[in-house]
Amino acid sequence: MTVRSFLCVILLLAGVGSSSAQTREEYLKAYTARASEIRHSFDTSTAVSYYTIAARYASRRGIATADSLFQIALREPRGDMFWMFPVIGAYLHGKDIMSGTTKAAVRNAWKTYAPYRGDTENHWAMYYSTLYLAAEQWPDLPGTEWFNGKSSRENLDEARDYLIHWMKITTTIGQGEFDSPDYFPEYAISMNLLSQFAQDPVMKKRGEMMYDYILADFAAEHLNGQYLGGFSRIYQPAVYKPLLSGASGFAWLYFGTGEAQDTSVGHLPPTPKARPPGESPYSGWQLLPALSDYRLPEIIYRIATDRSKPYLHKERKRVRNVIRFGTEKNPPVYKQTYVTADYGIGALQGGLLQPIQQHTWCVRFTAGRPYTTIFGLHPYWSSYELGMFFPEEIKPLIADVVASKGTYNNPDKWTGGSPYERTFQSKNTLIVLYDIPAGTMTEHIDGFFPGTLDTRTTDASGWIVCKAGRTYVGWYPLQPAEWIPETDPPGQQKNVIGRPESMRDQKTGPVNWRLRSHKLQNGYVVEVRSEKEVGSFEAFVAQLRTHIPRATLLPGKVAVEYTSIGKDRMVFGFPERRMLNGTPVDLSTYRLFDGPFLRADVGSETLTMTWGGKTRTLNFKNVTISEK
Amino acid sequence: MRILTFSLIAAFLAGVPAAHVAAQGPESTVYISVVATKLFVVGAANPQTGIHYQRPSADTVWQHTGAVNIRAFGVAVHPGSGQKVLYIASGNGLHKSTDGGATWRITTGWSITEVQSVSPDPFDPDRVYIGTPYGVYRTTDGCRTWQEASAGLSSRFISQVTASPIVKGQVYCATESGTYISIDGASTWARMGLSVGGVRTLVQHPRDPKVFAAGTEDHGLYMSTDGGAVWTRREAGIDHLTFYAIAFDPTAPDTMYAAGYVTGVYRSVDGGTSWKRMNEGLSVLSFKCLAVDPRDSRRVYAGAYWGGVCVTRDRGEHWRSVGPPDSQVWSISIQP
Repeated sequence: MTVRSFLCVILLLAGVGSSSAQTREEYLKAYTARASEIRHSFDTSTAVSYYTIAARYASRRGIATADSLFQIALREPRGDMFWMFPVIGAYLHGKDIMSGTTKAAVRNAWKTYAPYRGDTENHWAMYYSTLYLAAEQWPDLPGTEWFNGKSSRENLDEARDYLIHWMKITTTIGQGEFDSPDYFPEYAISMNLLSQFAQDPVMKKRGEMMYDYILADFAAEHLNGQYLGGFSRIYQPAVYKPLLSGASGFAWLYFGTGEAQDTSVGHLPPTPKARPPGESPYSGWQLLPALSDYRLPEIIYRIATDRSKPYLHKERKRVRNVIRFGTEKNPPVYKQTYVTADYGIGALQGGLLQPIQQHTWCVRFTAGRPYTTIFGLHPYWSSYELGMFFPEEIKPLIADVVASKGTYNNPDKWTGGSPYERTFQSKNTLIVLYDIPAGTMTEHIDGFFPGTLDTRTTDASGWIVCKAGRTYVGWYPLQPAEWIPETDPPGQQKNVIGRPESMRDQKTGPVNWRLRSHKLQNGYVVEVRSEKEVGSFEAFVAQLRTHIPRATLLPGKVAVEYTSIGKDRMVFGFPERRMLNGTPVDLSTYRLFDGPFLRADVGSETLTMTWGGKTRTLNFKNVTISEK
Repeated sequence: MRILTFSLIAAFLAGVPAAHVAAQGPESTVYISVVATKLFVVGAANPQTGIHYQRPSADTVWQHTGAVNIRAFGVAVHPGSGQKVLYIASGNGLHKSTDGGATWRITTGWSITEVQSVSPDPFDPDRVYIGTPYGVYRTTDGCRTWQEASAGLSSRFISQVTASPIVKGQVYCATESGTYISIDGASTWARMGLSVGGVRTLVQHPRDPKVFAAGTEDHGLYMSTDGGAVWTRREAGIDHLTFYAIAFDPTAPDTMYAAGYVTGVYRSVDGGTSWKRMNEGLSVLSFKCLAVDPRDSRRVYAGAYWGGVCVTRDRGEHWRSVGPPDSQVWSISIQP
């Protein structure tokens, strides 16, 4: 029996991948098995990868090989902040056992290789968390010994100041690059490294608390390994294959759900074209957390997996820095998600909240893998959108962006926000409206319907009715639309940092469906229910037939009136007039977190988690964790 | 192409300090900032970005100094420093070298980022201005500390800030909401008369401090002859609306050059009254920056989007590309 086969047996016996662990002891046993599986897949690998090196040091297995691989990898540093975190992670796991030559090579790399700080929040989280750790490791060095010319003290102070600043704005007005299934790992690893390795006890505590914070944020909007609701950023194919995201890999590690194997991201560096025999099947994103002492607090695990009762969860986040075409630097983002044991539906308020990869709303469900989602969008792109958020010259920006994010100006893309899209959600009912000016780059809206649905038919009432296991979805288009079949590209092309991008080569695979409407004043109503909520699918359809929206669809005057099957009276006028049961909806009252599991007020610098009568409060003002 | 690439890499690996090449001689030294090459992706290998320099006789061979892959938006040399004091405006902040490019230090902290332009004060070796998407910043102590200097600006997005080379204490900037001028070293700003937004470049006549020219996004090219109170859109011979760069011939200022988005290069020989496209030999048409060699004003450099540097030796009659290949060149500084 090979080591790998043996581990598989252990994992099965430990119930790995199951969310049914009931006791803390059982959970920890299963978690340890999952973490060990990841670790051992790397510490037996011979690939030149910082993850392989870190795992070998952590396991005290093949130190000479790790030293050799480390020195090879450091000959050509590249990857900027994506280089910084695996290098410092590998170093911190091995610094007491690696050779002096290897140690010197690592030190020299921080002197001679100058990483780019990047231009997004996740870049800075990685850059400053790892710069902080490096500055702690090599204190009292002059600027001549660092890539940026700053002394160890200056680097430490700058990194600390930024990290505290970021934690403060996140816990007062919300994260900017929020709830990203694909960028969750970047924050997770950064905070995990701080919690594991910061020498300063306060920063170590901050790292632990912020790691708790983002995991709790995910847990409250999690279902079977999937992130739920609207997102700041997501790539294809994770947008329509929700388990193919970095966050799902973390769900597997910490919640025992999701997919262990994250194929949406690649090794960095080096990026192998194909994984050779003996290389870990895991992406590496979960490795450093799996090597750490961090153990998920039980309350976060319970929040992530207790779906015994449906619940409504609201959040407030912030828009990425607006540098042109706006008066407010970080306008608020309002998000609402309704979660049951079978599905989750969530939405942002709409409009341009993030460039390029925004996902304004979706339904995600537990059945029909891998295409466990239905969503819609206006596939918008413009130099105006890019100019809002990027400092480069506006007109050439589209070409710049397309060079790395090839779907951006594709009219068939499945990601992105639009200034001409707004939502109005009441629990499991959602209205989406569009008022698109003539001449806009894309004069259509699209809906994604997976080919793996049990049922997808158009009822005579006008409702499109779908069944995915125990989840029922009704979609009422306000304008005529056409069905377009499309196949999922089996081998997504990846850009140079390993993220899938291309929409070319759509040759084979299961047939999904695109619902396209070319009317510019447009919209739809979405109702989602489970078998537990409404009984049979036929009963759900029968209810929909008696609930038909009334719409006004004229340029500058797009509105709908609708009474949901939950008996909510919804009146929605594009862009911002929302009335629920006769009362205007004031989104500005949203808290940072508001639901049965998480609660935090704007400006509070705190987060209180609640489950089963127990609470855990993170207080960033005095850097304490309290439990009751 | 291979020779060029090899030359670049060889020079980079050799770590040749700029000062060693930039020693005083019969030729100017041309510094350029390369923001990106084709397929720039954060986290990927992005060769040949950052600051490059050459003597004109080096033709297509460029040498490199400083870090690569830092989104180098601007480059400047402090006047009077003998090309010892160099600056890079970058995504990582404001880099400074005091030894002609042999070593560098990032002088700004986390709160200053995406630095779009840098302008050292020709009257003060310790004073430098930078423009960012979040305002103007100023140092008065040789980059040891920085202060925000945006009082009076209605837009924080600064495309370009410039310390006047001919009027002490005067600073002017191009912003998303128009043009601004300061007469107290950026302590306070006053709006100039140009009412259009999206101003991308603002330059001053090399001898007459009352003459300014401005290039805009979608609004064309403007000039003022009264210190910025009244502006006139210049249209004669101009078929485009977006201009990122304008340059005066320092020895014969009635000769001007202008370029921008798919414009090619325009030239005026009557002080900006009328213009003519001078595109012969250009393989690209979008340009971000222009500079005239003060040692030989027949020689003009144009930094292109994805096309490296194009150079003319006859005031724009003929152009040819001298690399670096496929690069976005955002600024050019020519030191005589």
